[in-house]
Amino acid sequence: MQAYIIRRIIGAVFVVFLVGTFSFFAIRVLPGDFATASLGLDAGSANAETIAQRKADLGLDLPIGEQYANWLWDTIRLDFGTSFLTQNSVWYEIGRSLPYSIELGVLIMIVGFTVAIPVGLISAIFQDKPLDYGLRGIAIMALAAPVFWTAAIASLVVLQWDLFLIDVIGQPHLWEDPGRAITWYLIPMFAGGFAGTATTMRLLRSQMLEVLRQDYVRTARAKGLRESVVIMRHALRNALLPVLTVMGVTIATIIGSQVILENMFNIPGIGNKVLTSLFARDNPVFQSVVLIIAVFTVLTNLVVDIMYGVIDPRIRLS
Amino acid sequence: MTQIADPTVVPLRDPTVFDRVSSGSRSLMRFMRTKPLGGSGLVIVVVFILVAVLASVIQRNDPDNIFETPNPDYKANPTVIELARDPDIGSPVLVAQFLEPGGEYWFGTDKFGRDIWAQVVHGARLSLIVGLGASVIAVVGGLIIGMISAYYAGVVDLLIQRIVDMLQAIPFLVLVLVFTQITERSVLNVVLWLGIAGLAITTRLIRSAVLQVRESEFVLAARVVGASDLRIMIRHVLPNCVAVLIIAFSIGIGAYILAEASISFLGAGPQGIPSWGQMVQAGRGSLDLHPWQTVFAGGAIMLIVLGFNLLGDALRDVLDPRLRGA
Repeated sequence: MQAYIIRRIIGAVFVVFLVGTFSFFAIRVLPGDFATASLGLDAGSANAETIAQRKADLGLDLPIGEQYANWLWDTIRLDFGTSFLTQNSVWYEIGRSLPYSIELGVLIMIVGFTVAIPVGLISAIFQDKPLDYGLRGIAIMALAAPVFWTAAIASLVVLQWDLFLIDVIGQPHLWEDPGRAITWYLIPMFAGGFAGTATTMRLLRSQMLEVLRQDYVRTARAKGLRESVVIMRHALRNALLPVLTVMGVTIATIIGSQVILENMFNIPGIGNKVLTSLFARDNPVFQSVVLIIAVFTVLTNLVVDIMYGVIDPRIRLS
Repeated sequence: MTQIADPTVVPLRDPTVFDRVSSGSRSLMRFMRTKPLGGSGLVIVVVFILVAVLASVIQRNDPDNIFETPNPDYKANPTVIELARDPDIGSPVLVAQFLEPGGEYWFGTDKFGRDIWAQVVHGARLSLIVGLGASVIAVVGGLIIGMISAYYAGVVDLLIQRIVDMLQAIPFLVLVLVFTQITERSVLNVVLWLGIAGLAITTRLIRSAVLQVRESEFVLAARVVGASDLRIMIRHVLPNCVAVLIIAFSIGIGAYILAEASISFLGAGPQGIPSWGQMVQAGRGSLDLHPWQTVFAGGAIMLIVLGFNLLGDALRDVLDPRLRGA
């Protein structure tokens, strides 16, 4: 078991290293750089000399190999540098935006799972009944609807019927002013949850159908347990395991939809930072936020794998 | 007197050809009957393909044309005060912006007085090109890489798998956004980058299929009789992976269409062609009063992705029931 965990951790660290390297080179391969862009807005005032000076200030004039070595050494020491755009340290930028993303991400997951698990369960229990078809139909639609469109339609509904006022002055956190913050998060969390739910629901349904045909479920029924006990204790527990395995993918999907939702609703989170730093060629911020997202997904996968190994001995031995 | 068949007489219908056609249509009918959801997906996809092909015929209006309506308040020589009150009073026509759906403009008009129906119809072209093109690239690339990875186990396999892990640790949308910015954002480039971003998933899927086939006895038998690696791959492994290839192709299409719509929505999509994602964004500016552009463009995205997903699900169930829920 120890060897298994160590092997997995080494693999995870290597993947994070690859992601960092990828984002380092990706942002530099893109046409344009921050020095030229920040000066070049007004073409007359920027000449080659000032651009070169600006590049030297930002460290963009060094050979790519040297830049990479510097980045690697700094990143190992967890020094992410200074944002080109705001002149704040990247750690400060992340510290400010990460809480918003975590809040929204957790809310999306809460909505997603509180919908997906009961719905998947009901759908499996009422297999091929009208209720099952209806729920599956909704899930298939949720999977097909682009998250930005769901969010736009939800905003439209809120606006048309004056359901509530979205009050975002001061960009409140949930723990600061829950009443106002929730009006801000309500639409994106349901839009994101709706999109994230469908896969989980469909997976849970198919797993439940398989588990319900297993011998141990028949045994549980045969010894006269109540149906609710059979389903909750014997079937659901086993059906949830595969849902757990795809947690990493689910989280990556949610982060992807957060990029769009944070942009739509002006939530200054990590997803928004990805976009602004990418479009502004703010290298230090872009590299760091992509790295943080990767650490997050890789860590989730790692924890899931290890937990799975603990729960199911067949996996860690193979 | 017995009739002797004249060999020079060509039968009216060549039975072999006829049988082949009718067995094709019969299996199609069976598919529609046993998989009603997949069948409706097929219908949706076919309708969208027809719309895309016939876009210029059914557009009713030129998608770029700016329509005008007569100005009800028009006055020939307005005074300065009247002009200050209503700046448009001096012009006999106004831009026909934000017309409601119905009549001449089935889906209404947008902010610039253009026909939304015509734009939606033309948007189908981009979505189909992107979805099908990117999926072809992802499957062909994934087939080559996946086969190499599975067949030459060891260091090559390990390295490819870690790179796949890396690509999957970055949200697909971010990957696509980065890739598409590298080159000019023409339709062809966007298709290419979407396919490359999708390589991770197809490689993984195809690799595991090849691994399964590689263990089978007929591959061992081929190796025993001295077949080369290339021959084994092409003659023995590849034909047994066709089902997985079709599945990988069909279930990816919807995801690529959504990804293109997303980057277009964020203003980073292909340029110079009507795009549904960009229309949803354009319509958001006046969502509360004139939601139609957003509603119809987004509805089209959902419908086409729904069609491809339903069809892909059904194909997967038919071709490989073990992958159900994957």
